[in-house]
Amino acid sequence: MKVVGKHIPHDSAVGHVTGEALFVDDLPSAKDELIVDFIASPVAHGKIIRFNFEELSQLDGIAGIFTHADLPGHNLFGPVIQDERFLAEDIVEYVGQPIAVIAGESRKAVRQAKKQLQLEIEELAPVFTIDEALAAKQFIGEARELKKGDFEKVWNEAEHKIAGTFLCNGQEQFYLESQAALAWRGENGEILVHSSSQNPTEIQEVVAEALGLGFHEVVCVCKRMGGGFGGKETQAVIPAVMAALVAAKTGRSARVAYTKDDDMRSTGKRHPYKIYYKAGFTGAGKITGVKFDIYSNGGAAADLSTAILERTLLHSDNSYFIPNLVFRAMICKTNFPPNTAFRGFGGPQGMANIENVLQEISIVLKKDALEVRRLNCYGHNDQNVTPYGQIVQNHMLPEIIDQLAETSSYKKRLTEVAEFNRKSVTHLRGLALTPLKFGISFTTSFLNQGNALVNVYKDGTVQVSTGGTEMGQGLNTKIRQLVAEEFAISYDDVRIMITSTEKNNNTSPTAASAGTDLNGMAAVNACQKIRRNLTEFASRYFSAPENGIVPSIEHIHFEAGSVYDDRLPENKLTFRKLVLQAYMGQVSLGERGFYKTPGVNLNRETGKGNPFFYFTSGAAVSEVLIDRFTGQLKLERSDILMDIGESINPGIDRGQIIGGFIQGVGWVTNEDLRYSDKGQLLSYSPTTYKIPNIQDLPDIFNLETLENPQHKINIRRSKAVGEPPLMLCLSVWMAVKHALSSVRNDITPRLNLPATAEEILQRLTELNGDLSNPETTAVRATESEVSLVSLPSISG
Amino acid sequence: MRDYLLIYVNGRRYQVSGAQGFQSLSDFLRYDLGLVGTKVVCAEGDCGSCTVLVGRIGLPNSEGDSKLNYQSINSCIQYLYQLDCAHIITVEALKNKEQIHPIQQAMVDAMGSQCGYCTPGFVMSLAAMQEKEEVMTRKSVQDGLTGNLCRCTGYEQIIDAALNLDAKPVPSVTENFDEKTILSDFAVYLTQAVFCEFEENWNGVARKLKYFVPVSLAEAVSFQQKNDNVTVVAGGTDISVQINKERIEPDCIMSLVHLSELKSIFVDEQFVTVGARVSWSELGKFCQKNLPQLAEIIAIFASPQIKNCGTLAGNIANASPIADSLPFLYVIEAEVELTSPDGVRWLEINQFYQGYKKLAMNPDELITSIRWQMQDPDDLLKLYKVSKRKDLDISTFTAGIYIKMNNNKIQISRLAYGGVGPVVLRLPETEQFLYNKALTLETFLQAGKIAREEIQPISDVRSSADYRLQLAENILMKFYYECCKHQVKKA
Ligand SMILES: Cc1cc2nc3c(=O)[nH]c(=O)nc-3n(C[C@H](O)[C@H](O)[C@H](O)COP(=O)(O)OP(=O)(O)OC[C@H]3O[C@@H](n4cnc5c(N)ncnc54)[C@H](O)[C@@H]3O)c2cc1C
Ligand code: FES
Ligand code: FES
Repeated sequence: MKVVGKHIPHDSAVGHVTGEALFVDDLPSAKDELIVDFIASPVAHGKIIRFNFEELSQLDGIAGIFTHADLPGHNLFGPVIQDERFLAEDIVEYVGQPIAVIAGESRKAVRQAKKQLQLEIEELAPVFTIDEALAAKQFIGEARELKKGDFEKVWNEAEHKIAGTFLCNGQEQFYLESQAALAWRGENGEILVHSSSQNPTEIQEVVAEALGLGFHEVVCVCKRMGGGFGGKETQAVIPAVMAALVAAKTGRSARVAYTKDDDMRSTGKRHPYKIYYKAGFTGAGKITGVKFDIYSNGGAAADLSTAILERTLLHSDNSYFIPNLVFRAMICKTNFPPNTAFRGFGGPQGMANIENVLQEISIVLKKDALEVRRLNCYGHNDQNVTPYGQIVQNHMLPEIIDQLAETSSYKKRLTEVAEFNRKSVTHLRGLALTPLKFGISFTTSFLNQGNALVNVYKDGTVQVSTGGTEMGQGLNTKIRQLVAEEFAISYDDVRIMITSTEKNNNTSPTAASAGTDLNGMAAVNACQKIRRNLTEFASRYFSAPENGIVPSIEHIHFEAGSVYDDRLPENKLTFRKLVLQAYMGQVSLGERGFYKTPGVNLNRETGKGNPFFYFTSGAAVSEVLIDRFTGQLKLERSDILMDIGESINPGIDRGQIIGGFIQGVGWVTNEDLRYSDKGQLLSYSPTTYKIPNIQDLPDIFNLETLENPQHKINIRRSKAVGEPPLMLCLSVWMAVKHALSSVRNDITPRLNLPATAEEILQRLTELNGDLSNPETTAVRATESEVSLVSLPSISG
Repeated sequence: MRDYLLIYVNGRRYQVSGAQGFQSLSDFLRYDLGLVGTKVVCAEGDCGSCTVLVGRIGLPNSEGDSKLNYQSINSCIQYLYQLDCAHIITVEALKNKEQIHPIQQAMVDAMGSQCGYCTPGFVMSLAAMQEKEEVMTRKSVQDGLTGNLCRCTGYEQIIDAALNLDAKPVPSVTENFDEKTILSDFAVYLTQAVFCEFEENWNGVARKLKYFVPVSLAEAVSFQQKNDNVTVVAGGTDISVQINKERIEPDCIMSLVHLSELKSIFVDEQFVTVGARVSWSELGKFCQKNLPQLAEIIAIFASPQIKNCGTLAGNIANASPIADSLPFLYVIEAEVELTSPDGVRWLEINQFYQGYKKLAMNPDELITSIRWQMQDPDDLLKLYKVSKRKDLDISTFTAGIYIKMNNNKIQISRLAYGGVGPVVLRLPETEQFLYNKALTLETFLQAGKIAREEIQPISDVRSSADYRLQLAENILMKFYYECCKHQVKKA
């Protein structure tokens, strides 16, 4: 009856397909419920002069309008640096920033009242791009630096050199369920919040602080999210505070559910980056040293930007050994919504940058890029120390690359692609293989802890609660499997209960791919405590001193739903009967479990340490077809190979890999955030913001995992799989670059991220034209990491 | 005449009138009926989370029996006044007793859901494919599910689910209902027009609203004559989005849903004539056999849900410079039939647009059909749509190119570009340049340069002006390589 390692459908799958699985906005309304919405800033930077909130609050069906002045507690929050306001005070800092909360009897009343809004704001000069922020010296947090060896020396002595600028735009999380919260005021002013949040503890704490309550007076629960991807790690806080504020002020239940448009316009995204790179390398393609000056566009407040930037620093090596390096990094403060977590958490940008560097090295040396990547790849006995001093151990990176090159017929296809490009006047093909190595653990080391509550009932069934939240990643399914396995009972006898701060306190966000690692270990720890109690009881229960069988826990076994003493196996009891006996024997059948990841640390002063418990790794090879006239891209084939240890649930892990990869493909191809030159997001809904569609899948799509006998740690020798596969998408981006590099051989083509059809055609046009033309060079120098569109007025 | 709409939801009968009929189906389901399995994400037809099935009486078969034909729709942009005499099936009704439907089971087994928010929509789209008895292949599943976005799964496991499904005989989701009763109910009511009028009061201001669902063209035309500011709704795929996004606030709606007179495609010796109520799905099917160039565009047009509702007439009347039908209609010089109480007139499409969203059409006129001449199979016709994402995306740039040859020289050329100005544009200078030229690369290289000079596109959310200019030039080269090179070799 082994449950771990099985392909078991998602815990809520039946609820999903029948529509019975409820999300926050599906919960039934109380009779007195108020609908909550907010008034958002229409300008990117300005001073609030006047508004008619008083007047609005008198309109039919409006229960109240609340501003920062109505918050009984404080108006400042932030997971790392407390610099963000729930509700703007006198200054607004981004378009979409909430200024006031409006509550009404119906959606219609709220909508109509909002049309009567008069809001006068004196516009101040905004800052949108990294270049503008650099000029204005607007930063968030401290500059960071990571150094190793002597870059300047190797740069001066380098056989070959490249230098350039890497630019990438942001990405919208695009969870399908928009931000939502439902709040009730209970006895004694206590607040209960249902929140679509990856971080119920933070919601609890922040709601308490905003309302001036103790943490013990607020409960936050989360049954499930309709997707999170990082976008609900911190940013679920604002809607939760809105609902809680209304509930606290009016005593009525309060519901907020953002529209997709408002959600996209007012919440943060993956950070745009600009990285100035320099690399020195040998004629063989071996990197001798790199220097990366890294800038991220943080938006108007810190949010998680500092932690995200840290992960960029720790992933700027990706899978490659760099003997000499300087990474310097800085967060720019701009007038956009505070950028935030998104699957990969700063890793993707750092890894995209170095992949681009390696591709350019291969272009300069006219070598196969795979050869260059393989040459620089982390080794086993040497060439295995990361920039931060951690040794890459028990990994399979070279093996993964070699095996994938083999199974995907990389060499043969590379020749075919070159042949195709020589012949075709209408299309171009490109092929690239990129590896990935992703560090698992929160780099803020203390967050690497989890707790769980396991209750065994008298009929032998079990309820489990952890601080982990379910957003589709299959956490609950895996924990159910782990718990069933611990007691050797059936999967059906275990249920995962709603995540609630009432049962699990001081929890870390479900993030950093560590959800199963931390919460699964904590649940197993609780199970082991109960099992210990039960074992002890069973040893007494089965003992028969008259036959010389004295109580001995060594002889007790849990197997296939039963418990027995191996000296008297015929006396076995079902788990259920044993539990009932134990209850009557006054044995505790409920326990809390706790887990902390051993041995992870990072010294932020020196930049050295062992921030990661282990690495998840893999590689992908992708082939693309480009229309030379329109720049349109077709992903024709992708092959993926991953080392994810021993899978707890292969079906779920397969879903994570495919889903993550395709999400990444969106980031590097069609997901194009465009803003007006006033900082308004123009692509604020699926009409204009194009995430991958079912038609965008590669025609040929192969996915394999491989055995890694060296990986012996972590829960049941599994590996985290949530974030890493996203970065497999870099194979697609690099395949585009590879295609461009076949247009002419005297020039290294540039490629920004995302590689939209427009971006590709622009590069093609450039390549077909005269690149020595100073005009085109000038255009490039002013290019920006965010797309700002100056809108002519449309009339006539 | 009735003063209520008759709608069945999951086999239950509802009479809806007044303000209640003036809301989207998804709001009705979620807020009035508590059927929250249907999710709303975008409220603009672009994600498919709100997909449900709608069954309407189809044409009688040879025995004279009618049945309900089911199709997928986006419930967020179908208002109740579009759904009179329709049976709606939502995800809640797929279970039979406590047994989940095989489509649902297939999704469970293949791990087709992760967060589950998109899942009801996918299940309903799969159910719609089953209703159409489509054979499940990777390609057909992709086509059938184009209108459903999922951010979690990467879709592969949903395709697996669909492919596993094909192996087993699957009961129709409609088997759970007593269709006979519904059909006979509809048969009676379908002969009656619906008119509802109501007042909304808010802060002392009263607003009168009404909606009308005529059952004949004569009623429709006369209603338009008697009322000001009638907002005509065909498929609603443009208009309902505008309402949801509060860009318009119509107070007098006329829904053309019951005008069966306008539901046919006629082909005679001279013309193809498409009725104003012909949906994109129906037109697509027709074109597959008769007009492959347009079929190619329809294949990547919107999604099944949108195509089941939206019409060619609506596309024309909506007057967007990036409407996908227009380059075709321009170069084929189609005509629009306008009907008013005074009679009927035909207007050539190239005369139809007078400026951004300005039509050469009177307020009391209705588009009743569109016709074009059958083309000579030797003529060259090619249509292009460039969009950020290939499928379910609004165009960045469109082009229609039509060429008639005589003695290996271009005798007639017609070029129309969309997305490069406030209306779709013909390119007279380029056309003139092409006259009497041979089909050579040089011809099209030069034509591209001229075309580029003829337009002044703008930058917007979909692309920069530069990209559009470059496309305007390049598309002629693309045309040369795709159509002419091959043509020259043949000759
Ligand atoms: C998700 C989505 C995707 C889309 N994708 C595409 C696409 O790929 N390409 C594209 O071109 N369009 C697209 N559209 C737009 C829309 O679907 C088309 O324009 C469609 O053809 C409109 O037809 P309809 O019947 O739904 O029009 P409606 O919304 O009913 O009406 C549109 C306009 O036409 C008027 N009208 C309708 N019928 C008549 C008539 N008989 N006489 C006079 N006036 C009339 C209406 O009053 C209204 O002003 C998309 C829309 C959505 C929501
Ligand atoms: S809610 Fe997105 S299509 Fe209806
Ligand atoms: S399962 Fe989450 S969006 Fe599809």
